[in-house]
Amino acid sequence: MAKRDDFDVCVIGTGAGGGVMIDKLTAAGMRVVALERGPRLSLAEFDDDELRNVVRDEVFSPNQLETYRTDTKSPTQTGRISTLAHCVGGTITHWAAWSWRFQRDDFEVLSKEGAVEGASLADWPISYEELEPFYGEAERDFGVAGLSNGNPFEPKRSTPYPNPVHPERVSGRRFSEGATKLGYHPFPVPKAINSQPYGGRPKCMYGGACRAYGCPIMAKGTTHSVSLPRAERSGHLDLRPEAMVFELPVDQQGRVTGARYVDAKGAEHEVRARHVVLAAGSVGTPQLLLLSKSGSHAQGLANGSGEVGLNFMFHHHPTALGLFEEDLRAYTGFESHAGLDDLHASDPKRGFIRGGVIGELNTMTHQPIAFATVMGDSLGIGSHWGAGLKERIRAFPHTLVLALIGEELPRSESRIDLDPEVIDRFGLAVPRITKKQHPNDLAMYNWFEMKLLELAEASGASKVTPSRADGLHIDETHSQNTNAHNLGTCRMGNDPSRSVIDKWCRSHEVPNLWVVDGSFMPTGGGYNPTLTILANAYRVADHFIREARAGSL
Amino acid sequence: MNNELTRRNFVKGSALYGAGLAIALQIPRPNTARAASKSSAPITLTELEWTTLEAITGRIIPKDDQPGAIEAHCVNFIDKALAHEDAAARPLYVAGLATVEAIAQSRFEKSFAKLEADQQDGVLRDLERGNANEWQIPGIPSQLFFETARAHTLIGFLADPKYGGNRDYAGWRVSGYPGPRHRMGGYSPAQMAGEAPIVPVWDRES
Repeated sequence: MAKRDDFDVCVIGTGAGGGVMIDKLTAAGMRVVALERGPRLSLAEFDDDELRNVVRDEVFSPNQLETYRTDTKSPTQTGRISTLAHCVGGTITHWAAWSWRFQRDDFEVLSKEGAVEGASLADWPISYEELEPFYGEAERDFGVAGLSNGNPFEPKRSTPYPNPVHPERVSGRRFSEGATKLGYHPFPVPKAINSQPYGGRPKCMYGGACRAYGCPIMAKGTTHSVSLPRAERSGHLDLRPEAMVFELPVDQQGRVTGARYVDAKGAEHEVRARHVVLAAGSVGTPQLLLLSKSGSHAQGLANGSGEVGLNFMFHHHPTALGLFEEDLRAYTGFESHAGLDDLHASDPKRGFIRGGVIGELNTMTHQPIAFATVMGDSLGIGSHWGAGLKERIRAFPHTLVLALIGEELPRSESRIDLDPEVIDRFGLAVPRITKKQHPNDLAMYNWFEMKLLELAEASGASKVTPSRADGLHIDETHSQNTNAHNLGTCRMGNDPSRSVIDKWCRSHEVPNLWVVDGSFMPTGGGYNPTLTILANAYRVADHFIREARAGSL
Repeated sequence: MNNELTRRNFVKGSALYGAGLAIALQIPRPNTARAASKSSAPITLTELEWTTLEAITGRIIPKDDQPGAIEAHCVNFIDKALAHEDAAARPLYVAGLATVEAIAQSRFEKSFAKLEADQQDGVLRDLERGNANEWQIPGIPSQLFFETARAHTLIGFLADPKYGGNRDYAGWRVSGYPGPRHRMGGYSPAQMAGEAPIVPVWDRES
């Protein structure tokens, strides 16, 4: 051991969940050590070079390694599977900043829908009302710009958005016109992006490259731009980048004593802390718990229930493309300017339960390589190569993209465990993803694909086609293998035999172990999840600090 | 061999990229751009490989009233990438380009680069579909070579010119992408709304 240190709290991971805990606990005067597996990136590295950031994916997690299979009988694929950012600030560093509040029914899916065969539906042990004040706190800290009451379906809010709405772009306007024509209620998607100088950070410059990129001026609300700078100024934070935790040791009383990690040079270290907050993401958190096997925890730490790693969820993204004569200017602004929430609630007439939100988005249409390689074959014009390929390349500024953020049902068979063969550069077993959709997901995907085509046509497109990119499209023989929305795997619940953590995100079995990343979610909600992960971390931090002050932690 | 599996196995892990980006990209850093700034002559490919590959790129993205892959210097992009980030694909190119040239010689007694456009297209179509009987490279289907060359050509056409392709912004001019904006202060609300013209980066720089 190179050195030993003692802290009040050790936080593992600096993304949405971990970053908020670090910020709140240091502000409360606690001594925190934060262990982050990725390096510290400077703003100078947040450029908008598509080849470097997206095609080669060199910026955010070059060492990421996972395996993926559809089910236990399928062949395994090895590589960088999940859309993650291993860096100080975590995956929220390159998020697209959609900032929804979940609706009330997202917290009670089992009660509302009843049991569904092949799915492990559950209610959350908390309600919207319990989370509501913390949604407000997250919105204020991260500077969400939105139209208060712009979404007629949003549940009651006690505080308004802190920033006014952003300007519109042509593609968003066309979508809103089309959606209105069909009787829906489009509105500006709430975004944790400054529409005016706010929180000591400048306003957005609308450069187009937002999702999958770091913001070079910190107009985007992230833990890298909001939480961690504040925590570092507190003087109570010891932030250690390139610290890959490989074990959470446990003492005789069954309490976790801290964390053991390897640094960039491969040297081992150990820190000691009274509490450990795990926030390594829905893939990394179960990996670490399963790596931490000791006498009393033969199935992995905090895993007496056998639930660690189970119920790994994505969102599904059926996508429609529409061709226009005009330049839609979708390469300006940020990922999504306009959306609608009319189709979130379950509707028995549709033949499936749950739903999602629809947005107009530039995921591919601000970057010409991604557009030509991923969407080219779906455009329904031109050809794979030759003169017809140029026709596809030229469609770049003329293509409207609409997609769903659709709720995927949890399945206990969709899970993270340790790969029995593949190891990473430190010799650790890498996470193995086993993941397949439920029939409900496929029915939802197909229904919404048709709906998106209808919306694209109503928006004025002369030609509409579905986009069916490999790895995202699902049908009877294809599963989605990747998503930036990695959810579940350490379910929160009241029953210790069927969940990993309690309603305060504290392990049922290990009293000083907490989990605050997206893995706490019992169900995934039909919305981009990050504001909910942030709000939940504010809620857990508030409880943690109150209990600590009362001497009852 | 199961085509779908082959394709998936070669696909890079990065999220949104599927078929075609069949290049191992887990390789140490930076240096295509530096190499490209030093030389626009071959540093990886032989003269013959360069000429053959250049002709292939020219059929993947041909010239019309606007430039194609030859004018955009996509072969130079690939040559520099094979020296650095995409070095893992080098054996694929060496074997594949030699076979393409051999096919041209055996079918037409000419170099591939000297064939008529429709003869070149015929050879490439056979590679794309796995129909070239002359293709006998163990473990490498001709489709993989074709898709890799196609993806590389597209990337070279549309990546930042500093990487050696997209010469004189040829690819961005064709696509209508006005260039990256972070360093130039982004866009105004009037530009977003379609009420003000967009000035591409190459016009701002001149």
